[in-house]
Amino acid sequence: MTDLTFATATELSRLITGKEVSPVEVVRAHLQRITALDGSLRSFITVTADGALAAAAEAEKALVAGRPVGPLHGVPLGLKDLYDTAGVRTTGGSKILAERVPTADATVVRKLREAGMIVLGKLNMVEFAYGPEGLNKHYGHVRNPWDAATHRMAGGSSSGSGASVAAGLATVALGSDTGGSIRIPCSLCGLTGIKPTYGRVSRAGVLPLSWSMDHVGPMTRTAADCALVLRAMAGYDPADPTTSVLPVPDYMAALTGDVRGLRVGLLRAFFLESATPEVRTAVEAAARALEKAGAVVDEVTLPSVRYAGAGALAVVGTEALAYHAAWLRTRLADYDPEVGTRLMLGAFVTGVHYVRGQQARALIRREVDEALARHDVLLAPATPVTAPAITERQTTLGDGPSDVRSALIRLTRPFNFSGHPACSVPCGFASGGLPIGMQIVGRPFDEATVLRVADAYQRVSDWHTRRPVLA
Amino acid sequence: MNDPLDLDSLRRYARLAGFDWTDAELETIRPMVEASLRQLASLETLPLDGTEPTTQYRIL
Repeated sequence: MTDLTFATATELSRLITGKEVSPVEVVRAHLQRITALDGSLRSFITVTADGALAAAAEAEKALVAGRPVGPLHGVPLGLKDLYDTAGVRTTGGSKILAERVPTADATVVRKLREAGMIVLGKLNMVEFAYGPEGLNKHYGHVRNPWDAATHRMAGGSSSGSGASVAAGLATVALGSDTGGSIRIPCSLCGLTGIKPTYGRVSRAGVLPLSWSMDHVGPMTRTAADCALVLRAMAGYDPADPTTSVLPVPDYMAALTGDVRGLRVGLLRAFFLESATPEVRTAVEAAARALEKAGAVVDEVTLPSVRYAGAGALAVVGTEALAYHAAWLRTRLADYDPEVGTRLMLGAFVTGVHYVRGQQARALIRREVDEALARHDVLLAPATPVTAPAITERQTTLGDGPSDVRSALIRLTRPFNFSGHPACSVPCGFASGGLPIGMQIVGRPFDEATVLRVADAYQRVSDWHTRRPVLA
Repeated sequence: MNDPLDLDSLRRYARLAGFDWTDAELETIRPMVEASLRQLASLETLPLDGTEPTTQYRIL
């Protein structure tokens, strides 16, 4: 008997369309689990139980009537609370937008509903997506499900997305990623998630942090689930002028399990070197597993990547300040002090800094492109550390001490800067039982190869099948 | 940017950007502004001659 709350989207879709389980049964199981566990996990800001049950009943009727159904029919979905949802408040994790109720769905929400997904509710997040720890003063700090004894970070900013899928409260969640906010919680919570190429998925109806760095994508339990959901989300959208007109491939068809001859570049300098020994060992072992499966692995360096932090500060600081300027003048006290402070720093970034940041961006993008001209994908840790306790401010990396915030975002941010697609997959567990994530980076608009490698790795490993022990 | 920022300078920069924050608010962020400006100054050490800034985001 399949545990419906830990089934993958791929499995649930097959069970539901095969009429082995009812969408109502699936949604009820998830709502019951939310009721039982979310008081301590704090992964949801708003649960839309009535809407979800009504949608599930409609989904069941469609099946009974033999009507055509979408590829994700009846599969439960959680939305980071920055995706607009018609008639349901969308807070951005803030007090400022606590009562904001959009009149229309974000484009990707509409597309996923059309594909058959059922929205369970809106997920907790770092206020306005500005922070990687996953903390939220207004709606409670999300708890990482992998440690029942210590309150650990779920990672952010899509913290509720990470915790809810890891704990079996949602099958799939949407996150957004400006510096790592999909990949960091995936790494800390043992999930598989992808930040697609900039322009691959519409951002229309998604609250911005930094227009040129924001990406949206799915957070799931397997690469196959990412493939299924990404295909339903991706594509040109006239409401988002940065979306690409390139056709969306069938990502599931790319999951052949075959990586023979594939060229894999392992990022050691800056990436593996900054990881803790346990993280470094796990990623190196994953590289060897891919090699055993037929991939050709060697090491590669991105010489200017250490400047991605400064460059991103110039770009994100300026863009975020522009979006928040009016509230920073009139409602500063309504921000979480840490988020408000981060936003205020943008006022001291000059025009020259911003252009230097964009020049650094061009340079780093060129270096990533050059590395990917010689390799099909690049491998690196997603985060250099496992989930810190929420009280932790400082940590020790492989190359020295660091504040926790900088450490968490260090290895993911370069690929927001460059716009390349990157996913995080579980590649081991540290001695304390906390998940370790590996990042797979691909060429622009080649999410298919990224997911092919992730899926091939999941065929020879079982880290992604492990579940946290919850009450 | 290695010199410490005094409150007058901070207030002036903030006002130029259109923000009338209080001295207490500015004093709170002063160490972080100094750290940010040091980090941003590191961009000047990159060999960026001839590198045009990113203005389009690889849209195909």
